[in-house]
Amino acid sequence: MDRTVGFVSASREAAGAPRDPLPAPDRGDRGSRPERPVLELNGVGKTFGRHPPIAALSDVSLIVNRGESVAVVGPSGSGKTTLLRCINFLVPYDSGRVLVNGRLVGYRERQGRLVPDTEPRVNEIRKRIGMVFQRFNLFPHRTVLGNLLEGPLYVLKVPRTQAVQRAKAALELVGLTDKIDAYPGQLSGGQQQRVAIARALCMEPELMLFDEVTSALDPELVGEVLAVIRRLAQQGMTMVIVTHEMAFARDVADRVVFMEAGRIVADQPAVDFFMKPATPRIEAFLSRFAVPGRPG
Amino acid sequence: MLQFARDYLPLYFQGTLVAIAVTALSMLLSVAIGLAAALGRLSGSRAARSIVSAYVAFFRGIPPLVLLYVVYFGLPSWAEQMGIRPLAAFLAPLNNRVLSAVIAFGVNSGAYSTEIIRSAIASIPHEQMEAAQSLGMSYWLAMRRIIVPQSARVAFPPLGNEFIAVLKGTSLASVIGVTELMRDAQLVAAATFQNLMAYSLAGVYYVVLVIMLQGAVGWIEGRLSLAHK
Ligand SMILES: Nc1ncnc2c1ncn2[C@@H]1O[C@H](COP(=O)(O)OP(=O)(O)O)[C@@H](O)[C@H]1O
Ligand SMILES: [Mg+2]
Repeated sequence: MDRTVGFVSASREAAGAPRDPLPAPDRGDRGSRPERPVLELNGVGKTFGRHPPIAALSDVSLIVNRGESVAVVGPSGSGKTTLLRCINFLVPYDSGRVLVNGRLVGYRERQGRLVPDTEPRVNEIRKRIGMVFQRFNLFPHRTVLGNLLEGPLYVLKVPRTQAVQRAKAALELVGLTDKIDAYPGQLSGGQQQRVAIARALCMEPELMLFDEVTSALDPELVGEVLAVIRRLAQQGMTMVIVTHEMAFARDVADRVVFMEAGRIVADQPAVDFFMKPATPRIEAFLSRFAVPGRPG
Repeated sequence: MLQFARDYLPLYFQGTLVAIAVTALSMLLSVAIGLAAALGRLSGSRAARSIVSAYVAFFRGIPPLVLLYVVYFGLPSWAEQMGIRPLAAFLAPLNNRVLSAVIAFGVNSGAYSTEIIRSAIASIPHEQMEAAQSLGMSYWLAMRRIIVPQSARVAFPPLGNEFIAVLKGTSLASVIGVTELMRDAQLVAAATFQNLMAYSLAGVYYVVLVIMLQGAVGWIEGRLSLAHK
């Protein structure tokens, strides 16, 4: 499984391809200017409900550069899922800005004010963002191949032979070539989750979002899924990874973000985050996990 | 009695075919209406939702026999009396008995199909829509490719029951002279004066038909669930 399957390089080419009507900031002048971050959140807020209002996100700012993996950790209910879902606008945020490749997500500016964007324009951005869910959410009525073809064929309108090629390459990357004709119901949780990752990869995304993708798995199946994500990190995929696997976060992520009560409390290089916890609260949080190689 | 059955079996068989054909066409209309109405009801549009609610309430309330009279005896003659040419021309096909029956039964059953399909679609976990949208699918594409195909499996058994209910209901079409099974029985009864025999034989035909249909529904249902496991 050492062959490099070129999802990441392909997505870089896609970034420069003329599918975006807006000027791509990194076109042509790579190196002379710093490249624009793949993901930028500026003061993003999201409140659910009214009685009482629940501030799931408050003033969240985050920058993820191309090729970076950022792990997001924090207690349950701290807003990690909401953060990911605001990025691809499955949840409409209500203040601040989310920019993907410099392009505003979900809203457009009209006379200095933000107005909701049209569905096709939101989908334009979603096409480039892969999302993997805690509970896989594969399409149970389609085979593995069917799951992988759905997006490329019907959203990207890629020719079938090419879409099948992509699907096979993705399956090879996640190590499930032999399951191409299986239905999701015939697969273990770990295999389903790897198919879900492959399904996202078939869109050749520029950014991958992982929401606690191993939390629903039996412990013995966690490793195979993490190995796939690790491989993507090595290939230089840009990723935001919400996880409770601290050792994995330390080893794979470039940075770790700690969330609490809808806020980003710490945003540090992975090594620092675990070696020198920024607050006593983080220290207490980490003490609940046995992270090999961590003092204490 | 066996002799009686032997004599009239072929005649009844023809009526049975007509009953099945009327049922199949009615169900085609019913499911088409049901799918469109269910999607309308689930859509964000308030207008679509109220139209569908009104449709369901009205056509679930009206007895199919009354509806059949309205469609066959009522509408075409009303259009002629009104003297509106295009309307009369539009409704003229309703002078055809079979077509009238199909429309009356289809529109009536459509109210039930709407509810069946709506609850089948609603039973698909919301995460499926989110997964589809995360791939960049629009709401309608996700409906078409992901949600509706999955709900077909859920809706199939109750739609099978609806098919059987419509089949039994086609006996009503005898009153407007569609020569289906029940009408055949009436003709045989009139010719032979063997009322009990004539109608009982029709009854046996219906029962056998329904049992066969139930078997078919069960078999297809089994196949459908097999495909996912
Ligand atoms: N759809 C929703 N409706 C109402 N409240 C929600 C919704 N989604 C999340 N929340 C609330 O927002 C807060 C953050 O939730 P979430 O983002 O799921 O946290 P995490 O993923 O870190 O566990 C929680 O208090 C949760 O109850
Ligand atoms: Mg969560």
